[in-house]
Amino acid sequence: MELSRPWQILRDVVAVLVTGLFMFPILWWALTSIKPISAIFDKDRVVFFDFVPTWINYGVTMLGMSRSQLAIDQGIGMGVGGAEAYDSRRSIIDSMVVSVGSTAVTTVIAVLAAYALSRMAFRGRATFLNWVLGQRFMPPIAILIPLVTIYKTAGLRDTDNLYMGYLGLMLIYALINLPIAVLLMKSFFDDVPKDVDEAAMIDGATRIQTFRKVVLPMVKGGVAATAVLCFIFSWTEFLLSLFLTTDIRTVPVKIQTFVTSTGNEWGFIAALGTAAVIPSFIFILLVQRHLVRGLTLGSLKE
Amino acid sequence: MSFRDHDKKTFIADTARAYAERRISKRDFMKKMSLAGVGFSAFAAGLLGNTRPYRGNLGLLGTEALAQDASVTQWLKDVGAPFKGTKIRYTSEATPPTVVLDKLKNEFTEPTGIEVEIEIVPLEQVLAKATQDVQGQLGTYDLYYLDQSWVATFAQDTVDPVAYYKEKPDLAMPGFDFDDFSKPLVSGLAEYEGKWAGIPFDIPIFMLMYRKDILEKHGIAVPTSPAEFTAAIQKITEAEKANGMFGTGLQAKSGHYSLNCDWTQMVWNEGGSIFGADKKFKGNDEAGVAGLKLYQEWIKNAPPESLNSTWDGQFQMMAAGQCALVQSWDEFFPGLDADDSKVKGLWMPAKPLVGKPLRPLSEVGFGEIPNYAHQGGSILGLSKYSKNIDPAWLFMQWACSKDIMTRCTLLGGFAPMRISSFRDPRVKEKAVVGPGTTRHLEMVEWIIDNNIASEPDMPLWAGFSNNEIPVNLGKLLTGQDFNGDAKACMDTIAASIDAAVAESGL
Amino acid sequence: MSSDSFTPRHAWLPRWMTSEHPLPWLLPAGALMVVFGIFPLYKAIETSLYKRNAATRKMIFDPTHNWSKVFLDERVWNALLNTLFYTGVALLFQLVLGMLIALLLDSDRKGYGILRAMMTLPLVIPPAVTAMMFLLMLNGSFGVLSRGIIELGLLPPGFSILGNASTAMAGVLLAEIWQWTPFMVLIMLAGLRSLPKEPFEAAAIDGASAFQVFFKLTLPMMSKVIAIAVLIRGIDLLRAFDYVKVMTDSGPGTATETLTSYAGRIYFGNADFPYASTIALLTLVLVIMVSTLFMRIFKVKL
Repeated sequence: MELSRPWQILRDVVAVLVTGLFMFPILWWALTSIKPISAIFDKDRVVFFDFVPTWINYGVTMLGMSRSQLAIDQGIGMGVGGAEAYDSRRSIIDSMVVSVGSTAVTTVIAVLAAYALSRMAFRGRATFLNWVLGQRFMPPIAILIPLVTIYKTAGLRDTDNLYMGYLGLMLIYALINLPIAVLLMKSFFDDVPKDVDEAAMIDGATRIQTFRKVVLPMVKGGVAATAVLCFIFSWTEFLLSLFLTTDIRTVPVKIQTFVTSTGNEWGFIAALGTAAVIPSFIFILLVQRHLVRGLTLGSLKE
Repeated sequence: MSFRDHDKKTFIADTARAYAERRISKRDFMKKMSLAGVGFSAFAAGLLGNTRPYRGNLGLLGTEALAQDASVTQWLKDVGAPFKGTKIRYTSEATPPTVVLDKLKNEFTEPTGIEVEIEIVPLEQVLAKATQDVQGQLGTYDLYYLDQSWVATFAQDTVDPVAYYKEKPDLAMPGFDFDDFSKPLVSGLAEYEGKWAGIPFDIPIFMLMYRKDILEKHGIAVPTSPAEFTAAIQKITEAEKANGMFGTGLQAKSGHYSLNCDWTQMVWNEGGSIFGADKKFKGNDEAGVAGLKLYQEWIKNAPPESLNSTWDGQFQMMAAGQCALVQSWDEFFPGLDADDSKVKGLWMPAKPLVGKPLRPLSEVGFGEIPNYAHQGGSILGLSKYSKNIDPAWLFMQWACSKDIMTRCTLLGGFAPMRISSFRDPRVKEKAVVGPGTTRHLEMVEWIIDNNIASEPDMPLWAGFSNNEIPVNLGKLLTGQDFNGDAKACMDTIAASIDAAVAESGL
Repeated sequence: MSSDSFTPRHAWLPRWMTSEHPLPWLLPAGALMVVFGIFPLYKAIETSLYKRNAATRKMIFDPTHNWSKVFLDERVWNALLNTLFYTGVALLFQLVLGMLIALLLDSDRKGYGILRAMMTLPLVIPPAVTAMMFLLMLNGSFGVLSRGIIELGLLPPGFSILGNASTAMAGVLLAEIWQWTPFMVLIMLAGLRSLPKEPFEAAAIDGASAFQVFFKLTLPMMSKVIAIAVLIRGIDLLRAFDYVKVMTDSGPGTATETLTSYAGRIYFGNADFPYASTIALLTLVLVIMVSTLFMRIFKVKL
């Protein structure tokens, strides 16, 4: 839509303001991560920029340094604090492995299922779709104990084998992301006219060949968009990760380490929270264009 | 000192030679030096070329690093050899001893080859994970960190350490000395139905803490009873409100265990108890209601955010100088004395408030011990379902040994479990204002010996203290329900608790 | 591609094992659902039929115990109302704000791409972490948001938003709305971008006002996108857990207790797994009912 110049400027200003409003908590959190505790908790005022920044929180959570040592280097003693318990680098890796892995698993499974659901007429298709959607209905609390038992039997616990533990978490995330992924992918496949498949099959292609060489390349954008959503939901999941794994600690679980019996380590919470945004933000920037273009959620052209 | 001077000198000499010959890196050298107690802080700061002066007490931080007695290392090597390569796990709240232990655990892993994974999560999640583990008898955890309020719940899932020590003489740590644990801790924490459910590991306990500057300013004597405390906080709130300061600060978060802790103390102070000898809830009797009413008054003299604060919020209030008189966990002390604290050296420890005469033990039920100092201690229990029970037992003995417990106290500044740790000269030496101070510990020891209370020992208590009690208290205190009527609130709790107890057949 | 790149069909395989049949396509998704979804669901139903003795931990088969208790439990009804209120308010705000912000940011001008990327940033923060952020920002004594509102004179000094029965829900909703409005923005943007150009050009020629275009053209054409977005979001909202748990612990009292957070308390606090399962299953029934109704009324086709 064409706008006159003053209106366009107004729109730009509003757009920046609104985005700024949504960015504020994140920026505030980043600011909190470099504040000394006395600036986070000041009974007389809200401290904005009037403080001496400290890198202790990043040193401890991201470099595995000892707080006592850092405090000495900076000339401030901040009590005690073991390095190992608060070193969070492993958690970022755990989160990445699990999120990327589960995104891959989900996308493959969902693309296959969505293609059949979009292209083939068979009895029970609607029922199958409803069951898929239904996977997101379940409150995780109801299935924690059965899941733990299944994991024990199937050897998917990280305490038995770390790699199986990763796989276990990937699979359960694949399940909770399956509904969104299948729904999205089905709508993308629905957008591709069936004539395309038929033409390929008249050429003598099998279904799988048609799928791989003809249809799949046409929905690449959709696959990217689906992958991003799966990644986000896996990256942020908390409850299942908390209860299904012990040695693997994803970022949301790791942050709980800082809730201690003598008070929360707010600085560490802020530092890890901020640091954990960065990988995902880079990821989103990279796929941003696919994301918006891909997320059309079905055909609007009919 | 447990550290032998001769060994120390040899160790230092060897390390220095190794460094000079470039057999070890600078980092390793520093690490080893620090192990030997050579002024780690001064040394490292110098090596890093940092010119900013350190304002704290170097001598104090120097004692952080102490090495393990060589005989202990040798014992670990001998006895741990068959278990090399196993990995043991437990889940724990981030309490000071746990955090420190997590730092020291390499001294166990190096000689034995047994890896130790401590999964640190908030208290309620420790409970949830332990519950899940025993329900499925999964054996995920080899040790359990058990809060005093759940000991009865999990006693059936743990191995009695005293018995196991005798049963397995080849694994028994020489000189472990069970008699060295403070008696009140053993009876209030570890023992349940005549057996030890675990070894006492942590003892945060209520004490009175006061800002000496504020009390002096207003000419208030340190309160000794709930009535004096109430008068004092009213006076301070009145006088200091304009400065953003309140009389007290509370951990009154609705639905959280912290509120339950505050409440039990109020009930005991009025001569009440949670349960009677008839196993009925007694919070709704005269004493119980009086205690709750007094708490309602205290809330008026605390920052409103108290109603959404756990111990975290309460500590922040104290550290930010928002309140002047608090009866709460002694473990706050080392943090209050940190170098960047605004209240460094201003908080003082005192004996807990003494209220009406305590209800005698003959009139209370479920092993409850009414007294003036609520405690939130915890024990380390050996899981029956563990597949690595012997290596876990070795770690447990090591972690609870005299030397390690004392060093944990030195590093974290919290109350030790062992009488010998209280007596340790190094602990006494740190009893001055500064990070990781132990200056409150003399008082803590006195409180443990004289005032230690204990919540009921019953399997349902974990549920009551995390759900029925703090949720209904929250309704009352935040005005969601009961219209400010303490009796009505207590009656509601009584009805649901009595029903649950009857149903369980206890 | 050319036809000779396709290999001939494997005539020797039974048809249901070839890609012509839906089975191989659906098998991975189906297996995942059965093992990690349907089997645990069956176990949860089974668990709900037992009565657990908290003292002895014995489970006794008593199929009516929990199911009669759940309907008489006042806290369940309170939690149900809270859940519906929470879902309704959050959806309304997220939908309206999401639509408005999407319209605002739907521009090809330079810089809007960055704004859109920044707008998605809240999504990558784990809800458990977001809840910690808002817990701190809404602290009556030290929080930047609370202090701001108090400065404006809207609340008395030191007022605890989360510690007050009448305002706690608003506080929790603030975090929820902040985090998930961007999700709506993302989906709306995708919808807007995929709208065909012709009808809008025609409307412009007819001289329709911006309001007319929005209500007569944009909104009806976006209805499918909106419906699916509301469905996905609604399902998650009805199972809301993280924010309530971390920020208010379902309090004050039970003022912000949702069905899943109540189930969580019974599960983690009282270890009454059968009753927790019952409440969780009740939530499941609620989600099924609401979403079926929704799909019927708005004629959503999966």
